[in-house]
Amino acid sequence: MLFNTPQFFAFLAIVLILFYTAPRALRKYILLAASYFFYMSFIPKFILLLLSLTAIDYTAARWIARTRSPHSRKAALVISLAANLGLLGFFKYYNFFAANIAHLLHKPSDAFALSIILPLGISFHTFQSMSYVIDVYRNEQEPITNPIDYALYISFFPQLVAGPIVRAREFFGDLYHWKRPSSDDILRGLLLLLLGLAKKMVMADQFAQIANGYFQDVSKHPGMVPAWSATIAFGIQIYFDFSGYTDMAIGMAKLLGFHFPVNFRRPYLASSITDFWHRWHISLSRWLRDYLYIPLGGNRHGRLQTYRNLMLTMLLGGMWHGASWNFIVWGGYHGALLSIERMFRRKNAPEGSGWTIFYPLQAVITFGLVMIGWVFFRAATFHDSLYVLRQMFFVPHGHQTILRWQKGLVLITLLLALFEEKKEWFEKIALGPAWAYGAVCAILLLSVELIGYTEVAVPFVYFQF
Amino acid sequence: MLAAILCFAALEGILFHTGLYSSIIEPESTTGEMEVQLRNEIRRPKHNRNQVLAVGHSRMALLPRIVNQDMPGIGYTFASIGLGGTTPRIWYYALRAVDPTARTYAAIVIPTDDFNEPDTYDYHTEREADLHYLLVRLALRDLSDFPWSYQSRKLQWVTFRGIVLKGFVYKRDFLGFLDHPLARIAKARYVDSDSAGWYYGYGGVDENLEGLRIDWRGRTMQFPDRVPEGKRAQIEDMLFPTLPPDEGRETAYLRYWYGKIIAYYRGSGTKLIFMRVPRAPTSPPDPAPKLNSAIRQIASEPDVIVLDEHLFDQLEHPDLFWDAWHLNRSGLNAFSRLLATEVRRVLGPPKS
Repeated sequence: MLFNTPQFFAFLAIVLILFYTAPRALRKYILLAASYFFYMSFIPKFILLLLSLTAIDYTAARWIARTRSPHSRKAALVISLAANLGLLGFFKYYNFFAANIAHLLHKPSDAFALSIILPLGISFHTFQSMSYVIDVYRNEQEPITNPIDYALYISFFPQLVAGPIVRAREFFGDLYHWKRPSSDDILRGLLLLLLGLAKKMVMADQFAQIANGYFQDVSKHPGMVPAWSATIAFGIQIYFDFSGYTDMAIGMAKLLGFHFPVNFRRPYLASSITDFWHRWHISLSRWLRDYLYIPLGGNRHGRLQTYRNLMLTMLLGGMWHGASWNFIVWGGYHGALLSIERMFRRKNAPEGSGWTIFYPLQAVITFGLVMIGWVFFRAATFHDSLYVLRQMFFVPHGHQTILRWQKGLVLITLLLALFEEKKEWFEKIALGPAWAYGAVCAILLLSVELIGYTEVAVPFVYFQF
Repeated sequence: MLAAILCFAALEGILFHTGLYSSIIEPESTTGEMEVQLRNEIRRPKHNRNQVLAVGHSRMALLPRIVNQDMPGIGYTFASIGLGGTTPRIWYYALRAVDPTARTYAAIVIPTDDFNEPDTYDYHTEREADLHYLLVRLALRDLSDFPWSYQSRKLQWVTFRGIVLKGFVYKRDFLGFLDHPLARIAKARYVDSDSAGWYYGYGGVDENLEGLRIDWRGRTMQFPDRVPEGKRAQIEDMLFPTLPPDEGRETAYLRYWYGKIIAYYRGSGTKLIFMRVPRAPTSPPDPAPKLNSAIRQIASEPDVIVLDEHLFDQLEHPDLFWDAWHLNRSGLNAFSRLLATEVRRVLGPPKS
């Protein structure tokens, strides 16, 4: 049941009706049942995995909080992390390691392979679950006593399969002090739902046609023009796909009285790679910073240690996305760029983007560097990635694959993004006069109707992670 | 949110439920071709009711120019809104569009391929393309019948949504428009102003199949050497189709849509003339007649005239066809004259 299907909107409508007509004490049970129903609509058997991890982490956190022995606390933490990382590792990385071992032993790549289907959203809910247990271990979070509450935190359907990764204190703050959403929140939520749907169907799914057409057989389209066109198309696809999903998730949560953190802040307007990572998949960046980069030492032990920590964090961040050398190279590429930026950055220089005379050039360079990284992210194999990069820089011909209307669409969205960056039009529209709100919603709906890709419901890219 | 819904409904309505977008639709699309035909017929001056209109698909071989220019003694003015790929369901809505009072024409000529109406694997009831042909002309009032004429739930939903939210169906056309808006507007205007003359002046294809021999029982053909391989295979596929067992689906479909057309014209004084098109470059053997076929059953309805089944058999000759189903220039000419003469005979003299 994808967010971009009529079935999902019917499901959401039913959930909202049940939620707001039920007595308050029953509401979390309704949300939990709805969340499990939503999860089981994909592959029902994996509910057992979700329930097991929920039970393990709930128990581990309770154990950590109850015992005073540091050894027992650590043991409980290790068990929880081992369960999460073990299952994540098995489902996500087993075949990758098996193929590499087979390669080393000069055996066929599938010699040790297993037929494994990746459970939906496992990377997201395990990270969310681990953050809770670690926070309890660090005494930064009270253990949750009611297993229903904890189960809802892990499985809450708006963000279950592709985030944002919500911290326990954010979620339980809303759950335990639940307030009926204000009319402003309802307006914001509905607008976000529509905006997310438009981002997905109008931008992501349309540009996916170009990227898919190119990357499914890169050798068919030689030259730098198609290579850059397809890579930029993929850059547009993945941003609008993922941020569209996130907007819908945040919008739905608002309608239910929950508040999720912002996950994207116009990342392609970033003036540096550091700035990019402050704007892209913010909830994952925050997770990696708090549970990996800082525990590794962060920037507290000198320059070399900082570069090492950046590289390790980004390599693992890359691997989090998927089990292939391409993702590792993508992570390493970003780690290297972050390290280089840090190397040349003046001490105490601000990390964010300032609107200086150099900004356009900085933004274009950053955009170009990010696009080069996407080649590794999207190409089917490492060999394909190298082929595409060779085309992008050394083969000066080829045909344009982005249509005129698509370029126009990109220009409009760029102008909207710049306007949002400076003037925050979204907030002004959401809380502005009814006619302006109505007109924007109508234009979004019309764009979905007229431009949105509706041949089939295309799954969200991040569902595979 | 109410403001949003109202704004959206207003935008959708203004764009697609008025003539605004349909005036710049791609003229060579399915929807565009149908619309060009209908608009041309609506604009055609009609000085009296002695008008005969032909509907039909690509096998409706009437060339109105032949009759109107060369046979003035007929007394009726002939016109055609025949269009390749159309079906009786489309003809009903097309007739409603060009003749909203049901009193414009003295007669409507409606073709049928076969009086026995065998079922085919091309199940007419479930043709989604019909929505595309009729998109401009379908209105909210059609929600009560058009979607439900499909049997599949999915198609019922698709057509229902297509009538309410026409933008979903116009999508490809709209994206094409966005790519080259000025060129599209110019093309649409050009076709709108000039196409009536092109259609009226159409003369047909000059090729023929002279030398073709068909053994209908043995299901074999002997082609003249000049017919290329691809065309031979196509002709064989069209004339020797594999048919499913006849369960009466086609008959039920035709009974429903012929019935709708008959009901629309009931009491209007317009005669409905049904005729069988020339079937093939040589006459196939006649199977035993299916007595409960739709065409045979409606023959007894008032104001319905079913022309002799074998009237056009004389045109079933390789010299007059350019492919398996379609008459060439000479065939169209002969067909038009024969049809006009027969129509004049069954209608009697025109009313003054």
